[in-house]
Amino acid sequence: MNNNTDQKTLDSMHAEHGKTVGQPFCKDAKFSTRNVDVFYADNQAIYDVSLDMGKNEVIALIGPSGCGKSTYLRCLNRMNDTIDICKVTGQLLLDGQDIYAKEQDPVLLRARVGMVFQKPNPFPKSIYDNVAYGPRIHGLTSNKAELDDLVEESLIKAGLINEVKDRLDSPGTGLSGGQQQRLCIARTIAVQPEVILMDEPASALDPIATAIIEELISELRKNYTIVIVTHSMQQAARVSQRTAYFHLGKLIEVGETNQIFTNPAHDLTEKYITGRFG
Amino acid sequence: MTISAILFLLVLLSAFSYFMGRQKIHAVYQQQRQNVDTNVRSKAKFTLPKYFGYVAALWSLVPALIVLLVIEIIDEPIVTNQLTSYMVQSNINVENNFDLYLNEIQNLDANNLADVEPAKIKVFEKLNHLNKIASTAKSVIVFALAILMTIFGLKKIAVGIPARQYFEKAIEIILLLAASIAVLTTVGIVLSVLFESIRFFGEIPVVDFMFGTQWSPQTAIRADQVGSSAAFGAVPLFIGTMLISFVALLVAVPLGLMSAIFLSEYASRGFRSFAKPVLEILAGIPTVVYGFFAALTVAPFIRDLGQSIGLSVASESALAAGLVMGIMIIPFVSSLADDVISAVPQAMREGSLGLGATKSETIVKVLIPAALPGIVGGVLLAASRAIGETMIVVMAAGLAANLTVNPLNAVTTVTVQIVTLLTGDQEFDSAKTLAAFALGLMLFLTTLVLNIIALHVVRKYREQYD
Repeated sequence: MNNNTDQKTLDSMHAEHGKTVGQPFCKDAKFSTRNVDVFYADNQAIYDVSLDMGKNEVIALIGPSGCGKSTYLRCLNRMNDTIDICKVTGQLLLDGQDIYAKEQDPVLLRARVGMVFQKPNPFPKSIYDNVAYGPRIHGLTSNKAELDDLVEESLIKAGLINEVKDRLDSPGTGLSGGQQQRLCIARTIAVQPEVILMDEPASALDPIATAIIEELISELRKNYTIVIVTHSMQQAARVSQRTAYFHLGKLIEVGETNQIFTNPAHDLTEKYITGRFG
Repeated sequence: MTISAILFLLVLLSAFSYFMGRQKIHAVYQQQRQNVDTNVRSKAKFTLPKYFGYVAALWSLVPALIVLLVIEIIDEPIVTNQLTSYMVQSNINVENNFDLYLNEIQNLDANNLADVEPAKIKVFEKLNHLNKIASTAKSVIVFALAILMTIFGLKKIAVGIPARQYFEKAIEIILLLAASIAVLTTVGIVLSVLFESIRFFGEIPVVDFMFGTQWSPQTAIRADQVGSSAAFGAVPLFIGTMLISFVALLVAVPLGLMSAIFLSEYASRGFRSFAKPVLEILAGIPTVVYGFFAALTVAPFIRDLGQSIGLSVASESALAAGLVMGIMIIPFVSSLADDVISAVPQAMREGSLGLGATKSETIVKVLIPAALPGIVGGVLLAASRAIGETMIVVMAAGLAANLTVNPLNAVTTVTVQIVTLLTGDQEFDSAKTLAAFALGLMLFLTTLVLNIIALHVVRKYREQYD
């Protein structure tokens, strides 16, 4: 297959889901979602969203508060299952497998699709135990030495090792906000996921801690697919390759980050990124 | 005039001051408003007239109440004093037995003086006369003061005075008084128990009491009585208390904790809103009901069960009392544990679930450790309840002070012994009755220490997520 036919296929796929402007699909998608609707009891929160997330790409979900980007993100590792009244319909495929299929175990899915939350939420345990939590429950290591290595490796990847290597036994809640968030990232990496979901990971942090986290995201991209929800357009522009703009539960526009921020195709996107609302 | 009549009239008077005071300020405001232009009027802020009314009412009420209280305290000594001097004057000799004599006089019935000595009748009439004077003087003084203060108060209130601040201060003082009554009562109880215990320890050495293993408090009044070998070793009682409390906690902690986990993490909202109050009703059942349930149902059942497998079980066993007490204290554990588990931030649950932990892994590895201080607090609260519990053990555990840790035997507890020491006609000066105070003091210290630990642990928990 040459590039031309690929582009044609994608274009025809897009024609079927014609409401979103731009290019929501990609060739070798890690995650591929089609016609996703989400309901909270009788209220519809997400309307017919179709979006692909490619391998080793950082895709940013932006949009005004309450536009459904966090809800959509939480569908990707079935975190919405914990809310009784929440109902998800549509097709969500991870490596071609339906993650909402009956036989899919949400616990295994969450081991493959890790999540970092808005507010740093380290467990009230030691730094070591925080990182070792995931590997222990999934039995990833067979002895203490392996676990030690995995914890160290995760802390190295999260860029935290130098700050905590002498006090792995002190409580994780005693770290600063930025360090706590990197600890949470280390904790997520330790499970060795394939996709990392980040829900406004830097919104509770100061600019210096934010810069460190952003650098880390760019680094992590080599090994993981990263979906990041953010309110900061500068952040989206700095860390992501593609950007998706949500508005009132609908996916309005998807495109290369450069194009979205310099030359948005949709009126609403332009209004949002130029700060005329939201 | 009786006290209640005086109080009633004082309240009426202060209500009058309230309305007068409010009216006075209201009238001034009306006057002022007519003089200012409408634009200014809507912006000007006034202290509401009712606050001036409150201040006026307090002026009428409070000084009069204080004086009334003082008179109530001092009038009896004065009357008694007057009576004594009267009796000395009239040469009535009471042979140093004045209190007894006075008591006799006070108990005379005015309609039935036929066969009473004339001297006593004279004193009785004098007493009545003095009381009447005292009562009249009291009413006159209190009302004169109240009326004076009402006039003064109504005169004093004016638009300029900070009526709101005065009223707030008054509220603060009233609340302080309410709080200090509770605190002073506690202090009083503790001190009285402490002093009686010190009297007891004057007769029985502390070491004998705390480390003695023999408890038989029957003291002989006369030397020739049998069973006079009084022994006050409290060890069997404390061992018995701990044994029963231990059995109770063994029942209550797992059941309470598991029901708390179910209610907070698994139960649907509807079930929870139904089940939690029902569980808390367990704490509201009178303990005497648990007591006969334990004595009539559980104890015989355990005895029969034990016999059927060849064990000898006392018909009043520590096990029966402990089991029933355990059921009783389930709500203390479950309710508090449920609260603290629910209070663990949702972010903790999501963090754990997001890493691929199952619900039960999340509960065991994150929620319970995070809520542990609160759970420990609940358990300690339940433990102090178990230690202080009386009715169940009176009925189900027996009176024999056996020194044993076998829950199939009959044991007795500190509280049960206090009950038996003090029921019936007793004089509060023998070692036997004073022992009750010493036991009470020990029990109080034990539960106090447990409560302090519980409070400390709970406070530590509160700081965790701040």
